[in-house]
Amino acid sequence: MSLFWLVIRQLAEIEAMAATKKVITREEWEKRLNDVRIRKEDMNKLVMNFLVTEGYVEAAEKFRMESGTEPDIDLATITDRMAVKKAVQNGNVEDAIEKVNDLNPEILDTNPQLFFHLQQQRLIELIRNGKVEEALEFAQEELAPRGEENQSFLDELERTVALLAFEDVANCPVGDLLDISQRLKTASEVNAAILTSQSHEKDPKLPSLLKMLIWAQNQLDEKASYPRINDLSTAMLEDSAV
Amino acid sequence: MSESNGNSRRRNVEDQDLGLYFLEACKGREMKEREKEKVKEEEEEEEEPPRELNTINSSGGFVVVSTDKLSVKYTNVNLHGHDVGVIQANKPAPTKRLIYYFEIHVKDAGVKGQIAIGFTSETFKMRRQPGWEANSCGYHGDDGLLYRGHGKGEAFGPTYTSGDVVGAGINYAAQEFFFTKNGQVVGSVSKDMKGPLFPTIAVHSQNEEVHVNFGQKPFTFDLKEFEAQERMKQQLKIEEISVPPNVSYGIVRSYLLHYGYEDTLNSFDVASKSTVPPIYIAQESGIDEQEITYALNHRKTLRQLIRKGNLDVAFGKLREWYPQIVEDNTSATCFLLHCQHFIELVRVGALEEAVRYGRIELSSFYDLPVFKDLVQDCVALLAYERPLESSVGYLLKDSQREVVADTVNAMILSTNPNMKESKHCLQSYLERLLRQLTACCLERRALNGEQGEAFQLQRLLSSSRRG
Repeated sequence: MSLFWLVIRQLAEIEAMAATKKVITREEWEKRLNDVRIRKEDMNKLVMNFLVTEGYVEAAEKFRMESGTEPDIDLATITDRMAVKKAVQNGNVEDAIEKVNDLNPEILDTNPQLFFHLQQQRLIELIRNGKVEEALEFAQEELAPRGEENQSFLDELERTVALLAFEDVANCPVGDLLDISQRLKTASEVNAAILTSQSHEKDPKLPSLLKMLIWAQNQLDEKASYPRINDLSTAMLEDSAV
Repeated sequence: MSESNGNSRRRNVEDQDLGLYFLEACKGREMKEREKEKVKEEEEEEEEPPRELNTINSSGGFVVVSTDKLSVKYTNVNLHGHDVGVIQANKPAPTKRLIYYFEIHVKDAGVKGQIAIGFTSETFKMRRQPGWEANSCGYHGDDGLLYRGHGKGEAFGPTYTSGDVVGAGINYAAQEFFFTKNGQVVGSVSKDMKGPLFPTIAVHSQNEEVHVNFGQKPFTFDLKEFEAQERMKQQLKIEEISVPPNVSYGIVRSYLLHYGYEDTLNSFDVASKSTVPPIYIAQESGIDEQEITYALNHRKTLRQLIRKGNLDVAFGKLREWYPQIVEDNTSATCFLLHCQHFIELVRVGALEEAVRYGRIELSSFYDLPVFKDLVQDCVALLAYERPLESSVGYLLKDSQREVVADTVNAMILSTNPNMKESKHCLQSYLERLLRQLTACCLERRALNGEQGEAFQLQRLLSSSRRG
């Protein structure tokens, strides 16, 4: 095929692509937005789901009274769940393990990875508090046998014990283990496991819907230009660049 | 009604009476729901799936179709490429779903095993193998190749023969055809054909016999599981997108502010400050707090009064705090408040008082088109011994009180001199985002020829718990 024809064909393709992209004016789009019917009770449900999943038990209670929305889980279980989460966040891992077992012993029985991470967190807390001997004993008796069962556990154990090798732990290569974020990570893992054991979704629906909004806009971008919401926190419609 | 009253109402409507927005929300609520269901039913009706083979346009003479129109046998001796025994389903594959799928069972591979399964367009030449001609696609048993639009196949999967169960499907989300053999996915190819597509099978050598299953019997392939996986794939893609960490907190908080759920808000704020790490929303979010913090306590009080059915007191407070809202007795807001008062009287059984109240406050709305339906429904409450079970029972539900409370809430927000856009008193940030989401999904599907599953926010919200 000659170069000339190639160019012609390419031009035709570009033209076709441009022609297929539909332009929706702001006026038209706003009309569509107005035609959408969002039920108040659905929004209330979404908010309740967020409060419940994120563990805002008092707010959920108040919201039930103020809006008449029923929570999708027994509110009493939130208090227990948050107590476990808080215990891990504050470094009281032993206490947290006890509380989880009070709630439902199956949670740790059926979830070796979670149990290992809690024990690992316990080891980290011992090291943080300078209890070197206790830490070593705990690592050898409780953690090492589990590491033998699972290579990834062993790697994590070795990484954690490495904390003992440094005088200035805060600036050592594995110092991130002592960071608050490590506690938060473990805490949210327990939190998710408890929610799952209560047959509840471990994440609230609202963030997923926000992601879905971004996804849907990106998908639609391929075929149409229309006013977008670029900043979720302002929910402002912005005219497209075309 | 006096002349001046009528004038003021008209002026009000010209000024875009914000209360009308909510009138729309409650007027014939139930009726709308019913309509919606009807539309859904119609949609399903329109999408009648294939149930049998089309014996009318099949390649006559080469094949025999059984009386149940579900199996086909090649009875001729094939001589060339234009005497294929092709047969389509009686209907095209439905498109308004995630996946369409059907299966064949090869009862007898005949002399050469030249069986094919696939999809063809309506105008397909009924003497050729699916895949050999334009606008057709087929997975062939004798060579395991996939044919798409011309006589040369591409490497695809295993061959198939007597005793095998082979399936063909359309994945509308991925815009792909896929094929299965004995319950396992063989592969998929992009679906580049437009318009209605007919499930199609072909036999092309003596004694070849094939049974087709359009879903009247359980499939060998686990379609439910496949669908679940496809949904999960899409979900994972969506979950990969990142959003700013505290944006959800901000949206929830602004929602509580917007609707005046002050007690919830206070608990929420106290709790989010004690979380580790604490969440400081105000600084990082772009939410214009001033707009929605306005008159928070008044809005909360009025919401509580209305939710408790205490309309008398609510009216009194409004007259005291925001006389401008209730000044015009013919506004949509006053109308909704009067209706609700009437409803509350019916609820507690004070029927005589309700009649008296209705005569004074509601009768004047009777011949105004925008208000008529709701007035009629309200008055109809009197006609039933058990109004809750009647067709107008929706008025006695909590959601009706909520609409009235939301109306008053919006009207108070609109008295804020710093409110930038009147839309902002009507819709919370959350609502604006959900509207955008819904509109995008609807538009995308419309541009895609209405293929795939319809977007339903409600279904997402009530979607099963992930265990």
